Amino acid sequence: MSLGGAEAAVTAHSKPSRTRRRPDPLFALGVAIVAAAVFLALVGPEIAPYDPTEATLFYNEAPPPLADWPGLLLATLTGDLPQPPHWFGTDASGFDVFSRVIAAPRTDLAIALAANVLSLVFGVLLGLVAGYYTNWATALLMRASDVMQSFPVFISAMILVALAGRSTGNIVLALCLLYTPIYIRLTRAEVLTQRKRGFVEAARAMGSTELRCALVHVLPNSLAPALIQSSVTIGFAILLTAGLSFVGAGVRPPTPEWGLMISTGANQIILGEWWPSVFPGIAISLTVFGFAVLGNALERRYDGN
Amino acid sequence: MTGTEPVLEARDLHVSYPGTPVLRGLTLAVRRREIVGLMGDAASGKSTAALALMGLARAPGTIDAGEVLFDGRNLLELPEAELRAIRGRDLAIVVQNPRAALNPMTRVGRQIAAVWRAHREGTGGEAAVRAVEMLRRVGINDPERRASAFAHELSGGMAQRALIAMALAAEPRLLIADEPTSGLDVTIQAQVLDDLARSVAETGTAALLVTQDLGVVANYCDRVAVLHDGVIVEDRPVADFFAAPEHPYGREVLRLQRAASGAALAPADTVTDETLVEVRGLSKAFPIRGSDKVVQAVDGADLTVRRGETLGLVGESGSGKTTVGRTLLRLEAPTAGEVRFRGDDVTAARGGALRALRRRMQIVFQDPYDSVNPRWTVERIVAEPLALHTKLTAAARRARAAELLELVGLSPELLGRRPRGLGSGALQRIAIARALAAEPEFLVLDEPTSVLAPAAVNGLIELLRRLQAELGLAYLFISHDLTTVKFLCHRVAVMYLGEIVELGTVRQVFERPAHPYAQSLLAAHLEPDPAQRGRPRTPLEGEIPSPVDLPVGCRLASRCPHAEPACAAARQVLTPMPDGRLVRCRRVAEGEISAEEVAA
Repeated sequence: MSLGGAEAAVTAHSKPSRTRRRPDPLFALGVAIVAAAVFLALVGPEIAPYDPTEATLFYNEAPPPLADWPGLLLATLTGDLPQPPHWFGTDASGFDVFSRVIAAPRTDLAIALAANVLSLVFGVLLGLVAGYYTNWATALLMRASDVMQSFPVFISAMILVALAGRSTGNIVLALCLLYTPIYIRLTRAEVLTQRKRGFVEAARAMGSTELRCALVHVLPNSLAPALIQSSVTIGFAILLTAGLSFVGAGVRPPTPEWGLMISTGANQIILGEWWPSVFPGIAISLTVFGFAVLGNALERRYDGN
Repeated sequence: MTGTEPVLEARDLHVSYPGTPVLRGLTLAVRRREIVGLMGDAASGKSTAALALMGLARAPGTIDAGEVLFDGRNLLELPEAELRAIRGRDLAIVVQNPRAALNPMTRVGRQIAAVWRAHREGTGGEAAVRAVEMLRRVGINDPERRASAFAHELSGGMAQRALIAMALAAEPRLLIADEPTSGLDVTIQAQVLDDLARSVAETGTAALLVTQDLGVVANYCDRVAVLHDGVIVEDRPVADFFAAPEHPYGREVLRLQRAASGAALAPADTVTDETLVEVRGLSKAFPIRGSDKVVQAVDGADLTVRRGETLGLVGESGSGKTTVGRTLLRLEAPTAGEVRFRGDDVTAARGGALRALRRRMQIVFQDPYDSVNPRWTVERIVAEPLALHTKLTAAARRARAAELLELVGLSPELLGRRPRGLGSGALQRIAIARALAAEPEFLVLDEPTSVLAPAAVNGLIELLRRLQAELGLAYLFISHDLTTVKFLCHRVAVMYLGEIVELGTVRQVFERPAHPYAQSLLAAHLEPDPAQRGRPRTPLEGEIPSPVDLPVGCRLASRCPHAEPACAAARQVLTPMPDGRLVRCRRVAEGEISAEEVAA
């Protein structure tokens, strides 16, 4: 009848701690690409060999053949060249494509990140409210986000920017409007299950206010889906930013921006001058891919718990 | 029965999940016509063992060593095709969740017929006949109609029976049943197990019953094997095991049962005359969406709980006992009635007044994993009420949390841990420590033991008794496990379809239940004592109806063996009996049915 026995039983029930997770190569790849993009956003324009917004004297110069790259790299590092080579060639205005490609993340990533953070904050808060209080007002909110989501994303963004004007702030706002409904929906779904959990009920039973239950218990436990989604959303926001520039509804030239570069280079492709468009295109694909892979890996980790 | 050649024999079986061995040399034999109970803790590897006996391991687990002998052949070395032929034909398994195991898109009869045809020669017509016959054998009424039903049209008990019928369809030589009745109510559990035992006897099959329930082992098994730490620590005839378990784990498991079978009812000296909680006419109806009907979960419940007293609330699922606990604490707003705590009206309290009341009455939930915030440390969980209701400093809260952990028999070293990785018994103690943090006088315990392993249940019940003695707490103990109710409660209320049908002392209700429903509930209870096996049962017909469109008269009338036309005509009222208990039955009140003696 002693409690000692019971206590021994209690410790015996403790499950063995989880074994260490095996490293996930996809996760590592995603982290590497995203880290590179962030690094370039921070210092890209500063480390670029040429000023990305100042024309050189060479127009439409083709990139050096791949075979010459090792030699050129060596020469650049030893300082044997009078000026750095145009790795990716130059465009019709004489801008160095390489410098512009590595300077662009500052624009693209900043817009995508800002839009994502804003929509994450609004979406999660509204989703919390919508999941917590199911009444006519939140029903209206959900229908409003249905309407937002039922328009083609790209066209909505174009119209929004066209109406509000072509500035970075407006692009961010347009993206934010488009992405907030996604976060509302994701968070609301999670809140709907979390708010019925025992620990929320227990907090209420011990005299916690509804607001405290919502903010202290439900919210932190409902964040995971939105956070995972945000990695994917950033990737798509980059794509959309570039897309808007491509159709002329994005940032103004000569700001180094991938979509704008593809757009201005597109006319030359038919003349065989592929480099002003292809290199920024590869950069976009890689970055979007990196964020998507990271999101995927995060999701699997979360599900595995 | 025993002593013949084993049907299946496992020798030194090792199964592991990456990094964690689960079975470490399991040796077990099942003989012809024998029912063996495999017992063990929640994480002891019982289900892993059940699968391993069929040569299976759930990914990423692997069978590392050992042999499983069937007909002199080692299953683990057979080619996959031969193994498949043996599985289902000679070895069949019944899993825990019957609804998940039945294909929702195929009629039940066809599923049973498919198993038979996969392993026996015969035409489709013969198979269909066979399926109906199997359904009849496992005790399903009107098997012709049920054979053409889909899984969702069957109740839980019915689906479990259909699964047993499917397993037995090909007349296997060994049936492995993994907790076949753990999701069912006691009255249904007894019916299903009776039918299982009879079918096994008729077909000459051997059976391995994986279970945590001592009552099931005591009443249905010939032999019991106890799995602990990956090995069988005890493997003996049931009567010997219950008389004198050899291994410390077995003794731990049986401790409460052995104490309860003596005269160790809850000591009455903690009970006072001071009324703490008074419930009058408490009702709760849930509206049904898209209909103007309601689910009448609780209908006019009257209860009092005195300081230092434990009131048990028993009944099958759907009887409304959990709703009583929740409306009592205003976790649900009652539709009618009032609750008073020391004279203060709980039902009318708003805002700050309600929060202040909640400090004095607390609840412990059924699932300890769900009732603690998984992201928080144990310290923060236990100290949450302190953060809400007191102005203690962080250091003082920490000290108090450590004290509380010691109070519930846990080491203060757990303070820095998170819920993940802690066992259900430890987590339930943490939930109790949290409930006690604000020093309440009254606790609602909502099935606090139902997900716990037997040994943890014993420890928890003892803890609750000790806390009551030390702190003078009053409990409302909601449970369907009658053994724990008997051990912990002073008085007990039996609920059926939202109504209290009998309310009396534990001794009155358990030894001589008066209401026909209480009688059959008590009779269906499987006493964890092999000596009482085969005592007569008066099972109720069918299953508990849904609490929608309830009849005007007696709610049990359609299932009651004593029902007369007059029972269905008038609403039954709780009537005081000469011995002080309350019974809601006109025939009992008029002395036409006498209290039935139940061997206790």
